[in-house]
Amino acid sequence: MTQISHNSLSETAQEEKAIGIWKDSFDRLLKNKMAVVSMVVVSIMFFFAIFGPYLTPYDFLAQNLELRSQAPSAQHWLGTDYLGRDVLSRVIYGARTATLVSLLVVLISSVIGVLVGSISGYFGGKLDFFLMWFTDLNMAFPNLVLGVVMAVSLRPPVSRWMESMFLKTQNPVFRQSSLLDLALVVIVIVAVAWSPYARVLRSQVMAVRNYNYVTAARALGLSTFTIVTKYIIPNAIGPVIVQMSAGMGSAMLTESAFSFLGIGINPPIPSWGNMINEGLRQWTSAPYLLAAPAVVLGLMTVSFSFLGDGLNDALNPKQWKG
Amino acid sequence: MTRLIQNNGRGNIMGETLLQVTNLTTRFHSRGNLIHAVNGVSFKIDKGETLGVVGESGCGKSVTMLSMLHLLPPAARVVAGTAFFHDKDLLKLNSREMQRIRGNHIGMIFQDPMTSFNPVLTIGDQVGESLIYHNISNRAGAEKRVIELFRMVGIPDPEARLKDYPHQFSGGMRQRAMIAMALACEPELVIADEPTTALDVTIQAQIVEVVKDLRDRLGIAIIWITHDLSLVAGLADRIMVMYAGNVIEEATTEDLFDQPTHPYTLGLLAALPAFQASKNSKRLSSIPGSPPDLRAEPTSCPFLPRCSYAINRCAIEMPLAHEIPGNGSTPHSVACFVNTQERITVQ
Amino acid sequence: MLQYILLRLVRWIPGVILLMFIVYALMFFGGGDPVQIMFSREATDLFMPGNPRYEAVKEQLGLNRPFLVQFGDYLWKMLHGDFGMALTDGRPVARTLAAATPITISIALAASAIIAIVGIPLGVIAALNQNHWADNLILGGALFFWGIPTFVMAPLLMVLFCLELNLLPVPRGWHGVFDVNSIIPLTVAALRPMALVIRQARSAVLDVLSEDYIRTARAKGLPEWVTIIKHALRPVLTPVVTQMGVVMTNLLAGSLLLEIVFGIPGIGKLIRDGILNNDYSVLLGCTFVVLALVTLTNLLVDITYPILDPRLRSTQKGAE
Repeated sequence: MTQISHNSLSETAQEEKAIGIWKDSFDRLLKNKMAVVSMVVVSIMFFFAIFGPYLTPYDFLAQNLELRSQAPSAQHWLGTDYLGRDVLSRVIYGARTATLVSLLVVLISSVIGVLVGSISGYFGGKLDFFLMWFTDLNMAFPNLVLGVVMAVSLRPPVSRWMESMFLKTQNPVFRQSSLLDLALVVIVIVAVAWSPYARVLRSQVMAVRNYNYVTAARALGLSTFTIVTKYIIPNAIGPVIVQMSAGMGSAMLTESAFSFLGIGINPPIPSWGNMINEGLRQWTSAPYLLAAPAVVLGLMTVSFSFLGDGLNDALNPKQWKG
Repeated sequence: MTRLIQNNGRGNIMGETLLQVTNLTTRFHSRGNLIHAVNGVSFKIDKGETLGVVGESGCGKSVTMLSMLHLLPPAARVVAGTAFFHDKDLLKLNSREMQRIRGNHIGMIFQDPMTSFNPVLTIGDQVGESLIYHNISNRAGAEKRVIELFRMVGIPDPEARLKDYPHQFSGGMRQRAMIAMALACEPELVIADEPTTALDVTIQAQIVEVVKDLRDRLGIAIIWITHDLSLVAGLADRIMVMYAGNVIEEATTEDLFDQPTHPYTLGLLAALPAFQASKNSKRLSSIPGSPPDLRAEPTSCPFLPRCSYAINRCAIEMPLAHEIPGNGSTPHSVACFVNTQERITVQ
Repeated sequence: MLQYILLRLVRWIPGVILLMFIVYALMFFGGGDPVQIMFSREATDLFMPGNPRYEAVKEQLGLNRPFLVQFGDYLWKMLHGDFGMALTDGRPVARTLAAATPITISIALAASAIIAIVGIPLGVIAALNQNHWADNLILGGALFFWGIPTFVMAPLLMVLFCLELNLLPVPRGWHGVFDVNSIIPLTVAALRPMALVIRQARSAVLDVLSEDYIRTARAKGLPEWVTIIKHALRPVLTPVVTQMGVVMTNLLAGSLLLEIVFGIPGIGKLIRDGILNNDYSVLLGCTFVVLALVTLTNLLVDITYPILDPRLRSTQKGAE
């Protein structure tokens, strides 16, 4: 007879829902120590991503061939790489690369995922079957392998397109290989990262769709668009936020994996992935070259997964056991 | 307590006390709140006797039983009371000693026969396993006993059904299997927690018949928990009515139906079609309001907000159970300050 | 049962064909001119479009046919074990794949075994100690290792165990699963996907423990270990096995990076070489092997369901 607690619980839960579910969730998040620590770490990274280049002691591109592969010292806290560049400055600039790529990826893929998921969930039928089949397919196969194929084969057409844009507009932006890298990496990661959002949103839609208030809204003659935007998407925000936090971490991870493989952000623009790749060449003689970007990348992805977990507990409290 | 002889058509069984519960109090912790689920419940049951426990959902009837058997969810604690089964206080037993009692001396029948069976194990295995772990018989012996039990509870073709999984049984058959499971070790007491609530009405009646028949043949004591007063009317020797974690009235079945005293019992009876106060009324009466918030420490009569007999005293003091004169063979006790009987006769 | 398996096949095979089609199209339209890649080390001006030698090679390889015909031809030959020639060294891709695939599979299998043997008990222990320190430690650890990318974990472990502690030899190449050199690669391969199994096992155990039938088992007076092992763990296996498809996906993605870091000559290494040489004949073959392995795992998972859950085996027999 745990109904006792359930009955009184559900009443209190409803009251509190009315008071402010967001504040409630935020309070719960603050109670999770790991999530708070992760939030701090992530904020520090955002700070460095925005202001980093103005704070770094050296230019991340400046080579000093006399000081190649130096161990950490007072001048170069994290040492120098094989071209005598300051590793600390490069690691800090890497934060900018990682943040830029993962923010773009998360924003674009969540929009695509939300669209696909809500269309699929709301309309149902054959369209739903097909879209979800494709989503599952996308999720089931290793994103890195499909991404590699895409990255390799999209590069020539995209660079051809950029060249033609340059000829048309004479805008030197289109000649920057770093922009090409960035665009390619974002496109490729989005192509493999949108599916979890679609899944999350669809399951939310399916759950909400049959609620009485949605049926009532439909009976009142509200348009499908209104119902989806007014009733369904607000309900799905919690799970989408959780997915976005996890998505930031995995986008960051995928970007560095691509850069590590040499098909993402290419040197000399620093990405933690390509720095790890460079560090791996001389890891026995200069392990700090490898350790610095590896530790920072690990710290970031771990922080995002703890933050995502904390958000999940705070926003989707499934187990309020009495 | 006077030892009385029960005579209800199944022979004389000496009224030897089997279970004596005194002042049982159980609380739940839930997100910073304390929920007063059971507030000092006392009752007893004799060997071979059938006790009906009646009350609406959330009144603490199941929690009382689960408390005795140490089956409460982790958030709940028994904070006071004793529950003597023979001469052992169940509440003081450690988990090993409790294991030896559960299933072996006290069997349980749960409400929902679908979720109460493990879906990935065969019914035969689940019915017979308590025999094995209570060292009553080996695997082969358990299987034989299960077939015997299946016959007893009326499951056709027991040899074949033994190897079926729960989803292959219909609801009624599953509940029969559950009864077989509770009876496997020949317990002295079976606690049936709303065993028919999840079933169709026709099957409900069949299950009640099965239990009645087994009780009469095996002489087991039964505590039958239900929210349906009419269901236990033909089954129980005594009825105990619970409300908001308290026992508010207790009497022999005949006495309770002849002289219902507590306003809540009156309300329950009035809600039964057969006991409609006015034969002309077309609608069944209902008790207005809803059960109290169990988060508050009870200081007044819990039924006060819904009671039409209330006097000033009810708001200040918690009424305790006291005996009133009755015709039954055991005392009729009620927890109410008002003599509703008189009021009714006056009216 | 046969019908069930066929239904599952119908679900997966079109997916593999669609993905192969996408990959083939990407390579076909974006991958560059195969003839030029083939002869990139020789005098390139001889192999420019318009040159008769170039056109002859192109004609000979059937590259002038329409796209769909070429794709169909590729699929057809692939079904007969012919994956074409590598563009760079001209060796049959099938032979290269045949050498690399067993290595990747053995890593994946060994890692899956480690994941199951270590991950499931850890998840169960975490659930049984819900919200106590053991639970927090296991969950935190799982989340931690989940956050660390393979190509970060691998070098860091190498720095730690080979360089600083000098406990293990520097792993290079592949000498089978039961080799001292395989300790670090297998650990790295297993650590990240293990988080999936730990979390799934934990939440499944928690779900099951709040089921009515666990209370029934306790009400029967079964010893606690019987309740846990017999009544709780059996139903937990289904969701955990479900997770193996995802685990395999992660293992294969991880192997791509793992094999590069440790120089293991598996599929991952082949993919990397394919990228470096722009050899999309090899890349296509590798993609197919990866797709096939994931599909096979998911099929096996699908087939395991009815074995683990009797509800999927048959329907209700008798009624009242």
